[in-house]
Amino acid sequence: MEVIRLDSVSLWRRTQEEFSYDLKKTILSFLEGKYRQPARKLVLDKIDLVVNSSEKIGIIGGNGAGKSTLLKVISSILQPTTGVVRVRGNIAPLIELGAGFDSEISVIDNIILYGVLLGFSRQEMRERASSILEFAELQDYRLVPVKGLSSGMSARLGFAIATDVQPDILILDEVLSVGDESFKKKSQQRINKFWHGDATVIVVSHDLNFVRESCDQGIWLDKGKIKFSGKANDAVDYYLQSIQR
Amino acid sequence: MVSNSVSLGKEQISRYWELLNVLVSRNLKTRYRGSLLGVYWSLLNPLIMTGLYTAIFGATFASYYGNSIINYVLAAFTGLVVINFFSACTTQALSSVVWNGTLLNKIQLPVSIFPVSMIAANVFQFAVGVFPLLAIMTLINSKSIINVLALIFPITGLILVCTGIGFIVSALYVFFRDLNYFYELVVFVLWISSPVFYPAAIVSPQVKALLGLNPLSPIIESFRQISLSGAFPDFILISDAILRGIIFLVMGWICFHWWRSQFMDLL
Repeated sequence: MEVIRLDSVSLWRRTQEEFSYDLKKTILSFLEGKYRQPARKLVLDKIDLVVNSSEKIGIIGGNGAGKSTLLKVISSILQPTTGVVRVRGNIAPLIELGAGFDSEISVIDNIILYGVLLGFSRQEMRERASSILEFAELQDYRLVPVKGLSSGMSARLGFAIATDVQPDILILDEVLSVGDESFKKKSQQRINKFWHGDATVIVVSHDLNFVRESCDQGIWLDKGKIKFSGKANDAVDYYLQSIQR
Repeated sequence: MVSNSVSLGKEQISRYWELLNVLVSRNLKTRYRGSLLGVYWSLLNPLIMTGLYTAIFGATFASYYGNSIINYVLAAFTGLVVINFFSACTTQALSSVVWNGTLLNKIQLPVSIFPVSMIAANVFQFAVGVFPLLAIMTLINSKSIINVLALIFPITGLILVCTGIGFIVSALYVFFRDLNYFYELVVFVLWISSPVFYPAAIVSPQVKALLGLNPLSPIIESFRQISLSGAFPDFILISDAILRGIIFLVMGWICFHWWRSQFMDLL
């Protein structure tokens, strides 16, 4: 079954360097007649992509090729300038865990806050709080403000919240491994469970061997264009060839 | 197909509601560190300011308020409450979208939730802090429960104006990061041009016409008419307050949506 479909999706973004971010400067440049329209850059160029359910897809390519941007378009964080994005099922974007934490409030309040940001209801999160705390091994920290946790602990908490229920579609920007060795193992197991389950996984990775071994499909992006889409092995080979040349 | 879109709408509304709840409670918790008494800190500012104005201008302006210092105190207090609410709501809304920019880059969220949650937190604070005082004042002055209930109209007008302006400034701040300095000036102009601590009668007629443009003036007038005059609520003032609220809300919403597509490039 088809779960994600992108039809000639293009995205133009304003380049931030061009922008003054400043009312005073903008007004003055208007008065001096030097005002220019901000420049735009094509970040994704007519991307066509079909993902079927329970496929594991690896996206590879150099820095600035538009890999993370593509993930953001799929997670509908960014709207395409032209083209259509269709997604069936709930998406869990695991892009930098813990971005939604508020360090001033307690761990338990953060579990509810972050869960609701990810799209669950408060009721659901209250019910799941104890299993999340258990997985993150933070039962004793329930009422401690998050600023009192170490960075490893809050990464553990973020991972535990985001992966507490299995999503239909898992979006990974680089494969995650968080916390100390014992937690790394535990989080790896959980990812593996998703991986071998029915979940559709889209992962951006610079670890080409990982893409070869773990993904069925590979997509090679270069300067916002899909250069190759097909077997993961072939995608990695073509990508390596293009670098060596 | 139709039923699908209806259920989708319902889902979005319930998601918006859930988000609003957690963001408002987060906001209040960080502001007051779990102490409900903290809400009453918000009363400190208008009470102190009222005392100050009364000490300085009370004797001079009392003649405009039926030679009663008490009337002056009450008039200054209602004015200050309105202007404080407005300035707190809109300055907090201003930075809300930019502050949550990182979050908006990680998780798909309705952007308008951030300014709206700022306004909602202030509404809650108003409801438990200032409103009981206003209601008691109104009840004592008018001896009529209708006037107390009618307070809801200028309050609604005020909330609508704040939300509309909150939308506009939070969107503009994405583009112009020095807007907060300019906005401080705007708030100051609105504050001076609303008859908060002086009677509107002392202003010359030409300038008065200009002051009429201030969206907060009819709201303050309506508050005073309902809670201080003791007369039956004036519907013309009420409808003026509500109408301005609606105009500002619609304007704000249109601007916010118009600019929204460009937000993500700049956050």
